[in-house]
Order: sequence, then structure tokens, then C-alpha cells
Amino acid sequence: MDQFEMLKAWAETNVETTMFYILATLAIPLAYGVILDKTIIRSGFILIGVFGSICGLFLLLQAQFLALAQLMIYAVGITLVIVIALMLTNPRMEKSQLSNATPANQLGAFMVAVGLFMTIYLSVRPENWTLSSEPLDVNNVEVLGRALTTDYSLPFEFASVLLLAALIGSIMLAKAEKPPKPGEDDYEYSVVEDGPISDDARHDREPAASKR
Amino acid sequence: MRNGAEILKLGTLTLVWWCIIFGAVWAACYIVGILIPMALSSYESDAARMTAETCRALTPILSVLVFIPINAMFMVLFERRGLAIFTVRLGPNRVGPDGYLQTAADAVKLLFKEDITPRGADAFMFTLAPIVFFAPSIFGAMPLLAAVTNYHELFQIVNLPTGIFFILAASSVPVVGIVMGGWASNNKYSLVGGLRSAAQAISYEIPLVLSLVTVCLMAGTLDVVQIAKQQAGGILNWNIFGGGALRGLDTALALKFSNQPPALQELSQKSFDQVLKSSYVEPTMQAIGLGAGQEGLAGIIAAFAVVILIGSILIAYGLYMTGACAEINRIPFDLPEAESELVSGYNTEYSGIKFAIFFLAEFTNLFIVASIAAVMFLGGGDCPVPAWLGTMLGGPVIESMINQALTPLIQIKLVDPPTLFAAIWVILKVYGIVFFAVLIRGTLPRFRIDQLMDFGWKRLIPLSLIVFVLVVFAREFVNVHVGS
Repeated sequence: MDQFEMLKAWAETNVETTMFYILATLAIPLAYGVILDKTIIRSGFILIGVFGSICGLFLLLQAQFLALAQLMIYAVGITLVIVIALMLTNPRMEKSQLSNATPANQLGAFMVAVGLFMTIYLSVRPENWTLSSEPLDVNNVEVLGRALTTDYSLPFEFASVLLLAALIGSIMLAKAEKPPKPGEDDYEYSVVEDGPISDDARHDREPAASKR
Repeated sequence: MRNGAEILKLGTLTLVWWCIIFGAVWAACYIVGILIPMALSSYESDAARMTAETCRALTPILSVLVFIPINAMFMVLFERRGLAIFTVRLGPNRVGPDGYLQTAADAVKLLFKEDITPRGADAFMFTLAPIVFFAPSIFGAMPLLAAVTNYHELFQIVNLPTGIFFILAASSVPVVGIVMGGWASNNKYSLVGGLRSAAQAISYEIPLVLSLVTVCLMAGTLDVVQIAKQQAGGILNWNIFGGGALRGLDTALALKFSNQPPALQELSQKSFDQVLKSSYVEPTMQAIGLGAGQEGLAGIIAAFAVVILIGSILIAYGLYMTGACAEINRIPFDLPEAESELVSGYNTEYSGIKFAIFFLAEFTNLFIVASIAAVMFLGGGDCPVPAWLGTMLGGPVIESMINQALTPLIQIKLVDPPTLFAAIWVILKVYGIVFFAVLIRGTLPRFRIDQLMDFGWKRLIPLSLIVFVLVVFAREFVNVHVGS
């Protein structure tokens, strides 16, 4: 009976810490796995695992909304990244087949990594934080939503406009249309005699036809 | 009605299987959630108390785990029989009485089949894919359980303040499983199926989420229990009909047709103007310069806003159903497994229990999106008959008769009337939507991939954004979900 009381007392104080360590021991090896795995697609899937454990950390901090946004955006976003990786690389290509980085490249990468680490460390180290002992609102989605649409609406809009610009820019880059050659337009529907046009071929021609 | 006999058979089959499914779920919940804790309550030890608490906490997950396999078996059979009727065939009718056990036999067959991992496949990913595909449908449906059981005390722990967002986040994970399975199979058809699935899920998730966001905006909350509760009080209060925007109409009808039962006495004192007034928001009207004395004009504007609101929400419902169909890869959006082009798409290489898990998850996802629609748009566990009409038709009498008949069961806590009635309505609504999905499957051909993308990006997404903006403005003029 004492054991159960002890267990209860232990759970009340330590369950959060224990969960943190469990999630951290999940996240860190998985993060290593992302950079060490030989197949690029596998790295992508492991990255989802990393984000999943970070989502768990957010849940521990009572930030439900952030946790779920993490899950939703990254689960779908990383899938997109994987698809792009599949399209741009040979899916069965392994990293050992890639050319090794030169010492200069390695040095550069190291410098970037150190710089990044220093920046992140300086910005998140706990000394300058104001700690509050106020209890969290159960429904902190509401608080978050209100803050985003009132106090922080300008940064929020700024971020959206930035994303929109990035979106338009990437579309423009991806499109990179060549100017149509003279006479090409007339050629459009004259090939029917060769046999029925397959659906794909017709679809390829459609944009050119609609430009006229 | 030449196939009336077949339709009758389908109806009987449905009723029998509903009894099996929900009898099993009910029994499991009762034994673990109430019977065991009650039996343990006579012991005073800590161990007994802890066991009882654990049992109670495990009830929701247990109910889902009991529900999913049996329900999938029923839904496969229901779909096959339904499709048979639509295409004037007989459907499976040999195994067991009139084919009732066909899918149970199929399930046993799948479990005993050899589990093959193809040569060159990434074995770990190959095994992980069905799990990633299936697991979210177990925990994703959790908050819905609280909403569909009318907030029964056993299911209160699964309710979250971010309910619908949690469900959406969970339902966006399965696509990872499909891509993973497609890639790990080391098969071109599977890979193409997986890629198509990723493209499709990402495109159609946007209208799906935006239509649900529109509903959340109207409800003013993300909590599914609250959304379900707000819609109580008959079909005119449901979100699909503007979530109480037609309250003025409802009240006017009640005044006209009811014999003024006690609850409506005070309403009958009011004039028509006052009834009208209850449907629009006074501060907004004042803000656009319509003060006292201009109730007529304000009423006209409010009526216009109500029409726009209801039209938008109906479109949002259509958008949701389309997006959901695409999310769960059902015909006409089943390109990831288009069997005429891709053999079977992402699950070509799967066999035995892994294939069974894919299959199970697909039908469970269909059930989940139908339940989301029922809770978000169709009033959750709410009876479609408005209260005043129900009173006229003798609803309270019937209810008390049922309550009386069930008294012994209520006393041993086997039945909780509010939960029972809510559950029955939810079951009817959800399987109604499932039937609609089967009808769609029997009716529409498959999209071509470029048509699919065009339809998603050029039609559905702009439409959902327009609907969203319209609802934002219309909601300001109309009283929605206030003091119903």
C-alpha cells in the first residue's frame, strides 16, 4: 500500500521530467539518424520522427496548438520534401556514391554549423527570460489567436506576405517559359492524322493553345 | 422497385450488423468502464482504486479498438451489397446466412495468408508503413467520442480544447504511411501510387481544412463537444443550415403551429417584429447606421445575410465532402490505387496482415470523416425534429415510455438515456453519409490526374476562400449560436 502512495507521489512530481527524457532520447538519436542515414528518402522519414518527438515536447509544455501545428505542417510538409527528393534524385542513390566533400567545403560547413549553434544558443539561453508563475489558461488557443490578430498582427501579416512572395518567386522560377517559336502554334492540331493524340500529349499542348 | 427485395435485405443486414457492432462496443465499455470499477469499489485498498481508475481511463481506447475491426467488416459488406444493388447484381450472399459472414471469412483468410516482403524492399519501412497509416485513425477519433456520446462521463477525458484541430492533425499523418509504403515496396506502380497520394492529399487538404475552419469560425470554438452542443434543438439549429441563423423562422413556425405549450407562452406575447429582431445583431446594425425605427430595413439586411450564410455553409459542406473523399482516396479520387493503371497502387506488394491493416484503416477513415461531418455540420447527436414540433408529435411521451422500459437497465447503469439517444442519431447520420459515399462510388468514374489537380487548385481552393470570407461578413449581421 505504501508502494502505491509512493508511486503516486513520484508520478506527481516526476512524470513531466521522465517524459521529457523519454522524448529527448527519442529525438536526438533520430536527429542523428537524419544526417547519418545513407538513403535520402529514409532521412526524410526519420525527420518526421524527430518532429513527432518535438511535438511531444510541446505537448509537455501545454502548448497544444503548437504541438498539433507541428504535427500537421511537418507531417504533410516533409512528405512534400520527400516527393521532391524523389523527383530530383535517383531514389536508390546512396550517399557513398556521391562525391566526397573537399576539405574546404568541410571547413565551411563546420563554420556554418558553429555559427548557427552560437546564434541559437545566445538567443534561447535562459538567463534573460522573465519567468512567470501565473497558471496557464486551459484554452490557450484562444489567447494565441487573440494575440496573433491584435498585438502581433503586423508581424503575422509580414510573415504571410513574405511567404506569398516566396511562393510567387518559386512558381516563376519553376515555370521559366521559353518564348514560342514562330509557326509552332499552327502546328498544334495538324498532327491528328498520325493517329489519336494520347491524353498526356494533349494536356501538354493545352497551355500553348490557351495562350492565343 | 424491382429490386425492393434486395434493398430490404440490405436493410436487415445493416440492422443486424449494427446490433453486433454497437452491442459489442456497449458491452466492452460497460464491463471495463462501469462493472469492474463497481466491483472493485467494495475493496478499500489503493491497488483496487488504482485499477478502477485505470479501467475507467482505458474505456475510450478500448471502445475504439473493439469498434474498428467489427465496423470495418460491416462496412466492407455494406459497400459490396450496396454497390451490387446500384449495378443490379446480387453481391456476396453465400457465406453464412445470406452472406452476412462474407467479410468475417475474408478477414480470417487475410490473417492466415503468408506475409511477404518483396526482394529489394526496405523491410523496416515496409513494415512501418501500415502502422503509420493505421495508428492515427485510432487516436485521431478520440475527441469525437466525447461529442457523439453527449459528453458521457467515461469519455470526458478524451475531450480537448483543440478538438477539431487535433482530429485534422491526426488525419493528415496517414499520407506519410502511403508514401512510405509506396517507396519501400521497391515497385514502380507502388511508387507512383504513393506520389499521387501525396500530391492529392496536399491539394485537397486545403479546401477540407478551410471548410472546417469556416464552421469553427461560426461556432467560435475548436472544441467538438461545444460545437455539437451548440447545435442542439432541431434541424434548423444545425451548422449546415446556418447554425441557428434561422431562429427567427423557427420561432415564427413554433408560434404559428404549436398549441402554445408552457415554454412558449412568453414568446407568444412578443410581436412579429420582436421575433424578427432576435435574428440579427443590433450593434452591427447600429454600426452601419440603422438605429431604432428602421427595424424593417435591418430585417431585410439580416435576411439577405442569412441567405448568404446558409448558401456558403451548404457550399462548405460540399467542399468538405469532396475534400474528405479525396483525403481517404475513395472513388472518384482513388488515383493512388487506380487498379486499371497502377495494379493496386501503394499496396500492390502488400499481403496478409499488412494488407489487412491498410484495408481496415481505409474503411475506418471513411467512418471518421463521416463522423466529423455529422458532428461539425449535421448537429452531432441532436434529434432533427425541433423541440416544439417534437412536443406536438408526442416526443416527451415516447421518451418517457422508453425511459420507463429501460429503467432496470438505467439502474444498473447499462444505459444512460442522453448518451443512448445521441448515439442512435449519430449512428443514423454517419451511416447515412457512408451510404452516400457508396452511392458516389457506384456512380462516378475516376478522375484523371491532371483533372484532379486542376479541380483541386483552380476550383475548390478559391471557392473555399470565397466561402470563408462570405461567412466572416455574414456572421456579423446574423445571430449565430447565441442563447439558443
